[in-house]
Amino acid sequence: MNVTKQEDLALLAETAQSFAARELASGREVNDRYPFGPFWSGVLDKAFEVGFLHILLPEEWGGMGREVTPLAAVLRAVSEVDASLAGVLFTHALAQEILLAAGGPAGPQHASPDGLHTVREALLACPAFLNPGETEPGLEAARRGEKHLLSGKMDYLVLGGVAARAVVPARTPGRPGYSFFLADLASAGVAVSDPVLSLGLHACPAVDARFERVPAELLGTEGEGHAAFRDAADRMLAAAASMAAGILQGSFREALAYARQRSQGGRQIVHWPEVRMMLADMAVEARVAEMCAGEACRAVDSGLADWRLSCRAAAIHSLELAVKATTDGVQVLGGVGYMKDFGQEKRFRDAQHIQALLGLAPMKKMDLIASLVEGPEALP
Amino acid sequence: MHDARKASRQEIDRLLAREPVFEDLTCGLRAVSRLPAGLVDETRQVVALARKFNDEVVRPRVLAMERTSFEEPDALPWEFVREANARGFYSLWLPRIFGGKGYAMPTLSDFLEEISSSCLAMANLIGVHYLGVGTLCATWNLRLMNEIFRHVVAGETSGEPCLVSLAVTEPGAGTDVEEVELIDRGQVTCLARKVPGGWVVNGSKVFISNGHLSTWHMVIAYADLKHPSESVVVLAVKTGSPGFSFGRHENKMGQRACPASELVFEDCFVPDDCVCLDLEQVSRHSSHTRKKLAMQVIDYVVSTSRAGVCAFGAGVARGAFEEALRFAAETEVAGRPLIHHEWAQGRLADMYKNAALSRLAFAETNHANALHGMFRPLLWKPFYYLMKVAPAPVLDAWARRVFSSEGATRLARTLFYDRQQEAEYHRTSGWASLAKCVGSDLGVQNCRLAMEFMGMAGLRHDHRMEKHLRDAKLLQIYEGTNQLNRLNLFKCLIARRVPHAVVFEDGRTP
Repeated sequence: MNVTKQEDLALLAETAQSFAARELASGREVNDRYPFGPFWSGVLDKAFEVGFLHILLPEEWGGMGREVTPLAAVLRAVSEVDASLAGVLFTHALAQEILLAAGGPAGPQHASPDGLHTVREALLACPAFLNPGETEPGLEAARRGEKHLLSGKMDYLVLGGVAARAVVPARTPGRPGYSFFLADLASAGVAVSDPVLSLGLHACPAVDARFERVPAELLGTEGEGHAAFRDAADRMLAAAASMAAGILQGSFREALAYARQRSQGGRQIVHWPEVRMMLADMAVEARVAEMCAGEACRAVDSGLADWRLSCRAAAIHSLELAVKATTDGVQVLGGVGYMKDFGQEKRFRDAQHIQALLGLAPMKKMDLIASLVEGPEALP
Repeated sequence: MHDARKASRQEIDRLLAREPVFEDLTCGLRAVSRLPAGLVDETRQVVALARKFNDEVVRPRVLAMERTSFEEPDALPWEFVREANARGFYSLWLPRIFGGKGYAMPTLSDFLEEISSSCLAMANLIGVHYLGVGTLCATWNLRLMNEIFRHVVAGETSGEPCLVSLAVTEPGAGTDVEEVELIDRGQVTCLARKVPGGWVVNGSKVFISNGHLSTWHMVIAYADLKHPSESVVVLAVKTGSPGFSFGRHENKMGQRACPASELVFEDCFVPDDCVCLDLEQVSRHSSHTRKKLAMQVIDYVVSTSRAGVCAFGAGVARGAFEEALRFAAETEVAGRPLIHHEWAQGRLADMYKNAALSRLAFAETNHANALHGMFRPLLWKPFYYLMKVAPAPVLDAWARRVFSSEGATRLARTLFYDRQQEAEYHRTSGWASLAKCVGSDLGVQNCRLAMEFMGMAGLRHDHRMEKHLRDAKLLQIYEGTNQLNRLNLFKCLIARRVPHAVVFEDGRTP
């Protein structure tokens, strides 16, 4: 990475940190009440204004040159305070990645921000927790002239109640494989549920969507969606690892701060060896997760031969570390760690929640070993 | 060749007294011949009752109750409590001699495991009442037990639930109040001041499960805040008493239907009649020091309540397993049913194993309590069968006559404080800590495994799994954090093996 890029990256990370401190920290508990409280449209507007939705795009579209590292830096900083915004940015970026990876005549052009003036116009929904090669997508596509018509059910469509457009997978009856399509969620045939009440990332809501002959544009070659998904998902696994590293770091910081001010048995609990051991574990885990995520981003952006392996390994490991560490993060605070007044219980939920990004966690391991033993073609 | 059958009794005793002490490891085996055979049938009845309740009430209501708790965080689950009250669950485990239905206390764990497999919060709404009951039992104040337990029974008849809570945790003292070695160094502030005719209480208690729902509160206060371990006063405070009020209702991550309340005492007068235990008074008639007596009271309570937490853990571990199994049976992954994937079968086997191990841990702890702890008198065969067959009016008349005298309470305290050996309460307390850690850790672990297993489906509230995870985490915190419980296990079952070992001292002077 050259000096200018390093400076840009440092500036972006600083912007993300100050954004998180200014816009996310004080409203964390209130924003997390959604769908039983107001949606944080104002925060998303500001995230759009500072350009967080375009980071992965080519430079000519206002992005940072298709590199994962800048997106990862933002996701990490944001996740330390409130991972729900990172969930929004991740979902949108995944959809952009699929648009760009699917190729074809129109796909990449749809990723362009030209003419999109509001966050709702710009946001893309997608089923960020689904690996369509592992679980049936639920939608079927039928060709009608230049367009396709989508029918069926798309469960847990993330941002489906917020975004104007969605990138969704569907199967074409009688053909092998699946394809990705771009659909307008304002179309007459689209019906979405209320936000699905979920474990974490409450302010990054998902809906169950029903499609009834909804016109949609095929992205790339029909039946080749798995290749686009694999390319997009492998890159985005580095971003998921960064979210895990951010959540973990936030949990560690809050645990350490609390342990310094709370006393039991006549001494600060930071001096209790049982607490110290937990804090030591968390410090190690925070550093390891950060190194994993950083190395995975470097592998992608440098185009190393085994970048996919780096991304998959980093994501599997960092997400597991975050799940374990945020459990300890609640434990250090004891009873208050379980209450919504502090951030630890949310981090506990969010860490578990993001472990399901891009498919089942155990299948990520099975896919990783399959790619090593049988080669990448063995993957679904 | 040596023939083990020829070992002398003395040799056997000597070998088995060696660490690990045979008695520490064989509570279940030793309890078998001493326990009444009727316990098996009782357990069958209780488990069947719980399953029926799960089918009729818990599973049909759990999602809606949880949703309500998010929509209206201050709502109280009176409808559920009235339902449980109408079914007699708040007196099912009260001895018949106090007007209850007299089911054996160890079967409460089996009941709680069943309910927890569907909803930990609802299991708490029933189980936490018995934490208050157990605290009153641990004071061995037979007069107040007779009065308050009959009030609970009357509440079932009238339809006005009468629950009992335990109020011990304070804003500045959570771990401290669970261990006499820590409490004197801590920051307890709930002061009980002796005045003519009673006590005046000032201070507050927090995280009191079922607080807002309970009629009676077993309040742990201290007559001397500089030496709390030697000045414990256990008071029965009734809701509505002047000077007593409820504060905030905590906004928890899980177990949301079960309120965690703040209790506030401002010059709250408690008459002498409502003093369950005054350590200073009790110590006058005891050969034990006040500190030792305080530890015995704590250990009587936690030896049963921590087995209960293990039962909660076993239940939630099983609930997670059931959701994962259902998902595996209904879902295709990579083109074939998930249940056919060998890795999934291995994960399900792990989850089944975890639930089973937790069940064994609380069962063994309950056996320790049956041999050496609170369950001992009730499970003594002659008393057990007498309680089964004696007509209720006879028991009532006998209880009225005997329990009104101070002599009965004094006799009970002689039997259950003075004659209880340190090795006995170390065994029950050590096992209870072991079970608490096992049940809560494996409960959380199973939830984690199930969440990984179910992926996107597990995130959704309507698939029930994510609630199990949120609920389970609290098990590692309440009834003493698992960190405290590990130290207590060390203190009770390990420390004696190294005579110079000290506990609760490391890092005191950083």
